[in-house]
Formats: sequence, structure tokens, C-alpha cells
Amino acid sequence: MKIKNINLGYVTLFSVCLMSFLTFAAPVHSKNEFKLKLGAKGQICLKCHETLKKTLKSRFVHPLLKKGECIGCHVPHTSSHKSLLNEDRAKLCYNCHKEVLPENARSSHDVVVEGNCKTCHDSHGSNNRFILSKSGNELCLDCHKDMSADVRKVRFKHKSLENRKGCLNCHDPHASAKSSFLLESQAPTLCLKCHKTDKASFAKKHMNYPVKNADCTSCHNPHGSNNRGIIFDVAHAAVTEGKCTECHQKPTSLKTKKKTTQLCRECHKDMVDQTFNKNRVHWPLVDKVGCVNCHDPHATKEQKLLKGSIVNVCGRCHADTVELQEWSIKNPKNDRLCEPVKKGNCITCHSPHAADNVLLITQKSVTNDLCGRCHEWETHSTHPIGAKIIDNRNKNLTVECLTCHQACGTGNKPAMLTFSNTYELCLQCHVERRT
Amino acid sequence: MTEMLNGSGKILLILAGLLVSLLFLRLPLGDTASKFRYITSIYADDKGLGLKQPEGVACSGESLLIVADSGNGRLLRYTFKDGAVEIGTVEMKPDQLSYPIKTEFDSRGEIYVFDRKQRSIVRFSPAGAFRGYLKPAGLPSPATFVPRSFTIDRNDNIYILDILSERVLKLDPEGRYVRQIKFPQEYGFFSDVAVDFKGTVLLIDGVHGMVFSAEKNSASFSRLTSSLKEYVRFPASLTTDERGRIYLVDRNGGSIIILGQDGSFIGRQSGMGWKEGSLNYPAQMCINNKGEVFIADTRNHRIQIFAVVE
Repeated sequence: MKIKNINLGYVTLFSVCLMSFLTFAAPVHSKNEFKLKLGAKGQICLKCHETLKKTLKSRFVHPLLKKGECIGCHVPHTSSHKSLLNEDRAKLCYNCHKEVLPENARSSHDVVVEGNCKTCHDSHGSNNRFILSKSGNELCLDCHKDMSADVRKVRFKHKSLENRKGCLNCHDPHASAKSSFLLESQAPTLCLKCHKTDKASFAKKHMNYPVKNADCTSCHNPHGSNNRGIIFDVAHAAVTEGKCTECHQKPTSLKTKKKTTQLCRECHKDMVDQTFNKNRVHWPLVDKVGCVNCHDPHATKEQKLLKGSIVNVCGRCHADTVELQEWSIKNPKNDRLCEPVKKGNCITCHSPHAADNVLLITQKSVTNDLCGRCHEWETHSTHPIGAKIIDNRNKNLTVECLTCHQACGTGNKPAMLTFSNTYELCLQCHVERRT
Repeated sequence: MTEMLNGSGKILLILAGLLVSLLFLRLPLGDTASKFRYITSIYADDKGLGLKQPEGVACSGESLLIVADSGNGRLLRYTFKDGAVEIGTVEMKPDQLSYPIKTEFDSRGEIYVFDRKQRSIVRFSPAGAFRGYLKPAGLPSPATFVPRSFTIDRNDNIYILDILSERVLKLDPEGRYVRQIKFPQEYGFFSDVAVDFKGTVLLIDGVHGMVFSAEKNSASFSRLTSSLKEYVRFPASLTTDERGRIYLVDRNGGSIIILGQDGSFIGRQSGMGWKEGSLNYPAQMCINNKGEVFIADTRNHRIQIFAVVE
């Protein structure tokens, strides 16, 4: 066999190389890479970095600093990274703390993904657990200011928010493998950790309906509200009055008495009938989900029981239009952006349920009746406009506001114009002026 | 002889040989790019009354056109021959019709119209006489349905896009239930249905910009394309041609997207605008066996006619 021909010298050389590799490829902290004096390590650093002596007296100190292993994170002489770190700050912590960001996490905290661990943690030590820079909810609410205002002003608070763990009772500050919003688990599993459904008081409060498997957040605001039972501030009257049987069958199941729009029509008859009498009903109203496509039947934060802000609800299907609107808001050239566009108030011009006009526009005439409600179009400085002015390009079109402007936003074009400059716009019709 | 040819001559000879082989052996050439060449537009009826927000247009092999003039609540029948619209428009404004938005011919020339206000499909004779509302017979549970759109295949079977019970209903030419195909588990919103020459049923999901398909006799839909949002804003209608190419009408983007049978992107035609050749909020499109394309250019209040040029 060929093996007989192998030179023993090569075998020895290979073995030596392999042994050397195994020896020297050991983790960086297990060898004296920088040839420091015995026992020196962090002690030498502290001679100059005196503030760290104070940090060392903190209740919670990073284990590497505690052991005096400054070289676990820093290079003593030179580094390409700030603070003489031995790696980019965004990656450094992950060398040891990989577990904070599970692979394929369903939700993750932006600062964690970006590696901005210092936003919450002091890298050396602090008097707060997990070397956090602040304690309790204060840390979270420092950034989540909107939530902070809401949580503080509500009349009825969620008790778990007020105990020591605070936000961390429900949220994982780093990431959640299974749930949205960094939740440890989704409702109702999460809620049932504290709230026992077999208690008589629980059953009574829920009118004996089998809500054990229901989504608690379809009625309750986990951050507190001004309604008893932390029911969302905007609640369906039937919910606040405990009249579940208005819509649901007897408390043996959660089944509704009728389906979708037919159920809502039981109370909102005039509105539903008027809607269905229009030429163009908004299609989601007549699909399997009906009204509940946009409205929450129980309680929400938004007016009219909407499932989110108007622009968010519309944007779930009409993302392409909302993208234009968002782009227009960010565009510095668009200083004359229409107010409803700026505020994302789509229903100023569109009827969300039904209309007789294309695009579900609320008014028959765009110029006179729609834009004219806010803009004095008759005083438009330069151009004849109105039902008697025929568009040069098409005898079936008259010159109206939408001849030049696009009402939902035009991205990076100024003054909500359809074209990027007035020259290009005007030449659409006035071709004889082309130079 | 080949010895007498120089290098480029040999290459040309090889290429010519390959082309001849492909033509004779009918090897697949792949989908070649198609372009729309503008022919003309229809703006009004014979009396000069302008179209108002037309949303539907159907074409037959006999050069007939039916336009759903939605804003005027009527149907108009035109003849388009030799590249021109002939004089002699027929107006149909039956009481049974409120707001027509889609229309189709069957092989007998009968006219089917989808009325958005009534959410029902209305039948008319070739001459325009009211034949009744389409009432499917023998529907399995649930018997309730809300049509969002419909189409008719080569054998006059009728397919109804039922958004209430999340399915496509297949009816025979007499309106009797044949079978149903349930919607897929995940989708945004289906706004139109089409059937190609092989009997494959196609659905367009405008929210996600995706086409779903169910092959003939298949019981379920699957994705034919991934999201096409790179090319479209909000495709709301679709149709196919004789070769099985799929045409998506991009309502918000004012253009037509052409896909191969396998869902591959071939091209994009027209664009948002007011001038002839451009589209503003287009709705139904129809393509006949001569390769003539008819598009209901809704917000430009006209029907535009193009020819497909390879």
C-alpha cells in the first residue's frame, strides 16, 4: 500500500503542527497574550483608570472586570475600535452573550439587534441587577416616552407593571423567539400565568363566557386604561355594559348570533343599509370578515373602535398609497402638503364604507365639493379650472385639481404635483410651448 | 465549404443552423417580449354622450365589444373591425342593471355583466334583452355567496369569485354547481379570477401583488408567483391570452404587467397618464384572438385599444 511510502519525517512534522495549532488556538483569555507580569492583568489598568475602582465597589460588576480580565474586552496597546475594544462594539458582547438574540426570533429589540447594549447596560458595573444603567420601568420608559405618558396618566393600572419586575413581567428585553412585541408568550398564555380562570370572581366578571382561550387584549389594555377592568379606553357599549349576549350566543361558547356584517346590522341598521345602497361598497365589508376587517368588536385605543390609526388600518391593504403619503411627509420640498395627507387622515376624502364615486371619494365633484371644502380653488392664481374647462388631452376630462395634483401624496415631487417640476407638468397640455 | 468561411462567418452559420433547428423541432423559444402598439380610443357613443368611468370591457372573436359604462349605468356595444370602431353603437340600459363593472361574452354571444351595486351577475341575450340574474343551483353549504368577480371559460363554464365563503365556484353554462376551489390559507384580498386555455384557474391578490393558480381539476390554489410588488402597485384585474400569457392590470400604477404561463415576468406596458396610450386607474382588460387589446381606462373615461406586437 502507498502508506508504506510515506516519509516518517512528514508524519512527525504534521503531528507537531497539529499539536501547536491545538495548543495556540485556545481561547484568548486562557493564555497570557500580552506577556503581562504574573497577577498584573486588570491591576495595572486600574493604576490609571481610577474611576473603575469606584465601579468595582458597585453592587453588580461585570465578571470579567471583577476578575481583573480587562483584556477580555480591551486591547492594551492599540485597536481599530473605540475605547481600545478588541472588536466592534456591536459585536463584542455577542462573543459571550449569544443567547440574548435567538435565531429566527419572532420579535427583537432594535437596540439588541444593533448591538447597542450600552443603551441599557453599563458595561463595567452598576448598582442595578444585570448591570443595568437604571432600575425597573424607568429604564424602559426613558425611550418609550409615549408609553410612559400613557402608563402614568391612566386611572386603572395593570398591577404587574407596578411591581419590581415591571415591564419584564411580560416582555423579554432582548428578543422573543415565539411572540410579537417581545412578549414572553402570546395572550392568553401569558395572562394566565397570573390570572386564574377557574376562580369564581373571574368567571363572574366575564359573564361566564369561556374566555380561557380568547385573546385577552381584544378587550383589555395590558398597560392600563381609564376603564374599570383595564378595558381599552374606546369600548363597544355592549362590552362596557356587560351585554355580551347582544352579539354572542349563550355563554356555552363564544359563537356570535349572526355572521359578520349581518350581526352588526342588528344595531347599526341605518348605517349598514345606507352603505349597501351605494354604487360601490368597500369590498372588505362584504367578505367573510366584514366590519371586523377594520373595527375591533370589543375595545381598542382608537376612535370608532378602529384596529389602529386610520392610516395604519388603510395601509394594511393599500400599502402602496400609504408609502407615497409617508414619502411625501418626509420630503422637505413638500412644504405645502395637504393637511389630511400630512395627518394620514384618509377618510377626509375617501368614504371607508361605501360611495357612489370611483376611489370611494366622498364627493361627486373633486374640485368643487372635495378640495373646495378647504381650498378656495376659484382663486387659483394661474389656471382656469372647473367643470367647463376641457382638458386638452382628453375630451372626456375637465380641468380639476387632480389634473395637476395627486391627492394622496406624490413622493418627492413638490406641492403634491404629479410631475417633478412645473415645466414638465404644464407641457402635458401646452405642447406648443415646448422649447 | 466551411473551410472557406472566416471566424465570424462560421458563427453566423452555427446561429442560423440553431434557429432553423428550433423552428423545425418546435423547441421552446421562451416567452418573447411583447409590446402594445396604440391603435385608437373610444370616448363616446354615437350620439356623442361621453363614457363615464367605464370599468368593464369584453371582446368576442366576431369583432364585437361590450363596454360597461359604469358611471352612466349602461352597456354599449361596438364593432371594432380593421383597426377602426364602426358607426352603429348599441346602447343597453336595462332597469335590471345599476352599476356594471365587468362584462364577458360566452361562445354563443350571450352577455354576462357583473353589477357592483347589486353584487350580482346579470345575463343578456346577444341583442341585449334581459335574460335574468345568475342564480347558482345546487350550491353546497354554505349556500350564501358574495361575488367579487367572475369569468367564463372556452366551454362556457362560469367561475364566480366568492369573497364571502372564500372560494371559486364553478358552474356549468346553465348555472348548475359543478365544483368549488377553496381560497388558500394565506392571502390578502382577491379581486379577480381568470381561466386560461388549459383550464387553469387564476386569482389575483392585489394586496400582496401575487397570482395564485389551481390547475384544471385541482382542489386547491397555490402561489404561481411570489410578490410582484417590484413591478406593480395594486393589480386588481387579470386576463389571459390564447397562449396562456397572463396580463395583470395595475389599477393604481396605470400599467399592464405581462407574465408567462409559469408566472415569470415578461414585461410591463403603458403607464400612468392622461394622453392616449397612457392609463389612469384601468380596470378590465380583454385580448381577442387577433391580438387586439381593449382596456377600460376608468379615470380617463375611455376604452383604449392596442395591438400586441412581438
